[in-house]
Amino acid sequence: MTLHVSPPPHLSPPGPTAAVVVTNLKRAYRDRVVLDHLSLRIERGEFVALLGESGCGKTTLLRALAGLDRVQGGLIVAPRRPAVVFQEHRLLPWDSLWRNVALGLRAADARERAAAALAEVGLGDRLDDWPRNLSGGQAQRVALARALVQQPELLLLDEPFAALDALTRIRMHDLVRELVTNHRPGVLLVTHDVDEAIALADRILVMEGGAIAFEHRTGGERTARVTRAQLLSELGVDVSHGLT
Amino acid sequence: MTDIEKVATAHEFHPAQLAEDAAFPEQANAFELGELSLLVLSWAAPIVLVVAWEILARTGWLSPQVLPAPSKVLETASKLVRSGSLLEDLAVSLRRAAVGFVIGGSIGLVLGTLVGFSRIAEAAIDRSVQMVRAIPFLALLPLVIVWFGVGEGQKIFLVALGVSFPIYINTTLGIRQVDPKLIELGHIQGLDALRLIHRIILPGALPSILTGVRYALATAWLALVVAETIGAQSGIGFLAMDAREFLRTDVIVLTIVIYALIGVAADAVARLLERRLLTWHPNYGPAR
Repeated sequence: MTLHVSPPPHLSPPGPTAAVVVTNLKRAYRDRVVLDHLSLRIERGEFVALLGESGCGKTTLLRALAGLDRVQGGLIVAPRRPAVVFQEHRLLPWDSLWRNVALGLRAADARERAAAALAEVGLGDRLDDWPRNLSGGQAQRVALARALVQQPELLLLDEPFAALDALTRIRMHDLVRELVTNHRPGVLLVTHDVDEAIALADRILVMEGGAIAFEHRTGGERTARVTRAQLLSELGVDVSHGLT
Repeated sequence: MTDIEKVATAHEFHPAQLAEDAAFPEQANAFELGELSLLVLSWAAPIVLVVAWEILARTGWLSPQVLPAPSKVLETASKLVRSGSLLEDLAVSLRRAAVGFVIGGSIGLVLGTLVGFSRIAEAAIDRSVQMVRAIPFLALLPLVIVWFGVGEGQKIFLVALGVSFPIYINTTLGIRQVDPKLIELGHIQGLDALRLIHRIILPGALPSILTGVRYALATAWLALVVAETIGAQSGIGFLAMDAREFLRTDVIVLTIVIYALIGVAADAVARLLERRLLTWHPNYGPAR
């Protein structure tokens, strides 16, 4: 998928392992610049978390990658249409769960595939149930199944766990980690939760002023703790007191 | 009479609770009476009214030319059914309503869909429709008679006219109210325009469209009553006007009752449609 505009001369073609390559992305609302020459590359199977203060442009970036917003300059190269999971589950209330998961799936065995995807998120016995009978966490699991049934090479997660309670969120983290390990899409998780980013991501980006300001690779437990304080300070939170 | 017996059993059912009615404030009673007792009570009042009507008519307080006894109306009904003329007239009326409903409903649905989807169609169509809608459609009757005479055309036109507006408005409204986030999701899942309409927009607009259908059924009925009252040669309205000539109040009351019953039946059909088509909807579907 290519969103027009002059490719800069130094652009390297996306390698066979890239899920998405973004180069010099620009987006402004009137004279407020939201994305300012932002570049980003996510490999297949790589889990990238994107942190940033509210209004820093992280959702704008995600929507641009999803093809929902126009960009005004720069280039996005993604092999195929990405899948998106939003903060709200966005299930169609008039369709059964399997029909929700199969939405947009053009295959003779759509129901079987949807059933397999639902089984993978632990809802294999609820194929013909209605979305209104689901809890928030269950609905979000169906949304994950709907995204993964398309076999995406790029999975965009827009604060998908923000509306869930703490326990459900932890269970969802485990599930997402497992699903990503099995399907190996490139993942971009937009979140404002530093701990979530540390728990899930291979790489954490901090966005500021419309571009990527900091980048961290997460490793073992020790690295994570250091990064947490650092991430918070990068996000403008004073962590010099009261941190264990 | 069966009616009197029914009332008697109704009172015997919970005589104690009914007696309490007078003694206690209403709220306390509503709390103490069971669901069944409340149901019985809610039916008791209309039955008492009908029985009172019957008694007044029989004892001569009510002149049969003003209001015939309910039993007399029933008797007339059975006579007319046996002679075949009632069912025939009923069929004629129902056919007029159905044809007018289908024509008016289709026009309303098509225009409403166009306007719901397209700003251009809205600019082109909506203002004119709203202007015509401002006219009470029954005020057009003299004009419609000039156009169509007093034949079938006039009746069907009037029904179609009355039906098209509620369907048009509710279709437009329904389409506008579809959650834009779901439409966005459709784009993400790669639905083309036709699939988007089929899978997301029409199902999303359906509750509103069905509300329009219910309003339209009521309007269709009203339009038919008025249209049939003028120059009809058959149909329930004709039956009523014919009876007026001969001061047959029993037949007139019968036609009024039939209009009411068909109105109730039409509403029941609309409710059934809602329950069947909107099982997914928390406000319509059966309980879990």
